[in-house]
Amino acid sequence: MRWAIGAALVVAMLAFGLGVYHTAGVLKAGGKVVHRPNEVSAPPLPGTMYVVQGGAIFRFQHGSFTQVTAEDGWMQPAARPGDNQLVAVRRQTNSSDLFLLTTGGKQVVQLTRNSRPGPAEGNHWSFYPRFSADGATLFYDYDPKSGFNNYQVDLAIYASPSNPDSRGSLQWTHPNDYTGGDVYPVPLRGGGLIYVKYSIDDSFKVHSQIWLQKRAGTSGQALTQPELGCTQPALSPDESLIAMVCSGGSNQTAELDVATFDPTTLTLGSPATLVSGQLVASPVFSPDGKTIAYLAPSTPGGQFQLWTAGSSGPASVRNITTDLGLDSTSPPVWIGG
Amino acid sequence: MPRAWMVAFGFVLAGLGGLGAYFLPVFQTAANSTTIGSGALPHLNPVTGPTQPFTVLLLGSDDDSKFMPDRLNTQSMILMRIDPESKQATMLSIPRDLWVPIPNVGYGKISTAYQMGGAQGAIAAVESNFKVHVDDYVWIGLNGLVNLINRLGGVNVQVTNPVMDDFYPSDLNSAGNPYDYYRVAVLPGATHLDGVHALQYVRSRHGDVRGDFARSERQQQLLLSIKAQASHLNVADLPTLASAFNGEIKSSIGVDRLRPLLSIANDFNGSNIHRVVLVPPYTSEGFAAGQSVVFPDWAQILPLVHQTFP
Repeated sequence: MRWAIGAALVVAMLAFGLGVYHTAGVLKAGGKVVHRPNEVSAPPLPGTMYVVQGGAIFRFQHGSFTQVTAEDGWMQPAARPGDNQLVAVRRQTNSSDLFLLTTGGKQVVQLTRNSRPGPAEGNHWSFYPRFSADGATLFYDYDPKSGFNNYQVDLAIYASPSNPDSRGSLQWTHPNDYTGGDVYPVPLRGGGLIYVKYSIDDSFKVHSQIWLQKRAGTSGQALTQPELGCTQPALSPDESLIAMVCSGGSNQTAELDVATFDPTTLTLGSPATLVSGQLVASPVFSPDGKTIAYLAPSTPGGQFQLWTAGSSGPASVRNITTDLGLDSTSPPVWIGG
Repeated sequence: MPRAWMVAFGFVLAGLGGLGAYFLPVFQTAANSTTIGSGALPHLNPVTGPTQPFTVLLLGSDDDSKFMPDRLNTQSMILMRIDPESKQATMLSIPRDLWVPIPNVGYGKISTAYQMGGAQGAIAAVESNFKVHVDDYVWIGLNGLVNLINRLGGVNVQVTNPVMDDFYPSDLNSAGNPYDYYRVAVLPGATHLDGVHALQYVRSRHGDVRGDFARSERQQQLLLSIKAQASHLNVADLPTLASAFNGEIKSSIGVDRLRPLLSIANDFNGSNIHRVVLVPPYTSEGFAAGQSVVFPDWAQILPLVHQTFP
């Protein structure tokens, strides 16, 4: 009997030691669990949204997420107006390509073929696909090669017919050299294009500006001042508002600003800050234009979550997800239905 | 000894064993560290942060298989001054190609001082040229930075412009050819980066008109992001960090001094950290001894250094 008690005590002591070990581990600060979207539910939003996590596209509808593609480098989906198709980027190590997908994630056609055998620098990138309002033209980023210096890789915005059987592409923008290039095309209904242009001044400071071009190949005009540091523009469905992320020249802050836009005169009003104190990324308007969805961490250093805010102040900020790790370089796609 | 005491002693011993097992990586790191000062083990009692200003030289090296382990240059040199009382800090990035007299060697790029004399050589080069006193150093290798960021759970960075590079070295994996390269495209905007992608962001330089100066700017930005993540840490995180440190991070700051430093991390954010990169007119690019170098204009640099590192 005494031996049994002694053995039980030894077992209890070992269990206590193990408990102390595990308790110490539980006290760790970081390492919040990131869930797959289809493992969680969230407050429902009107319409349908597509978001990206871990190289997979997820549909968010009626408060739940459904995975529509495999985790295979998918990013930056955009809706094709008028039918049930998406265009999206599939990124690999040295290249990325555009694909037309059904809204269920099935591949319809591969639109670009940027992967090349041989040296890595022979490959190309395609990013930020966006259809024109009539769906006839697809705008996207592509890296034309410099004939003078292999080290120069600046993204430029191109346009191609969205019918995969049609050929030909047109270079719309000419980026400033060695800035990384022009990004984030947003086609206007009247035929112009809004995008982000980068410049680097004599004191080596980087500036990002919302830029507007009426036609391909023209120099265009700035819609925002360089010191505002605005990027990632989103246009409301009626083209009366532009939401954008502005840093004020800092690389530590990213506010959500909104400005009125006159599509007739192509002028932008003074930006008003809608959300500050968060690291905001990739805003997008709801189908009715009354709400803006964006991505931002819930805690400093945390993963990016889905948020919404009213598009006209006072801002009513809502945290939609809390434990996902959404791809902040892929703006949510928010469509009706 | 009464039997009850023996049982209690057994439980205390088991508990200490559990704690010891948990903190084993910290003990191993403390034993293996190259500390100049005390390599004492961490105390678990409450700590008081430092109160006097101190300087730390942060060194980063490409330590892949292209290089002999004891013949590394420093690709990154950042001198930090932290004043806990005024809650002000300064980060000064020193261009790796800065052409300076290196003590006991002669003129050379300041990045070679570490190769010639280790951390003490790098410290001596900085102290003699910039007329400052360096209290401590931290050296980190490529995998050390990647592991550190991954152990922190990644970092949030606001990428200011697309970082494009068609010739990014594929040298993290020791099994591959360290002269291979691949394409990098770090897309702009606020983003959460793991260790590998954060390293791409701070190491790439080919596609930016600012070259190495752009890297310096991004390295300072990443340090602030790491600091923001580290400010959430507590003593229970030390073993995880220590296992990342093992061999890939060397420092004169013993593990015992990490906790006091962590305790003041929250006092500093982007607004009270002064960031200096020695872009033109503080420096100018040119050639010396057949190499592309960066010439310092000491008449402009030293007043700036004396102002920010009094």
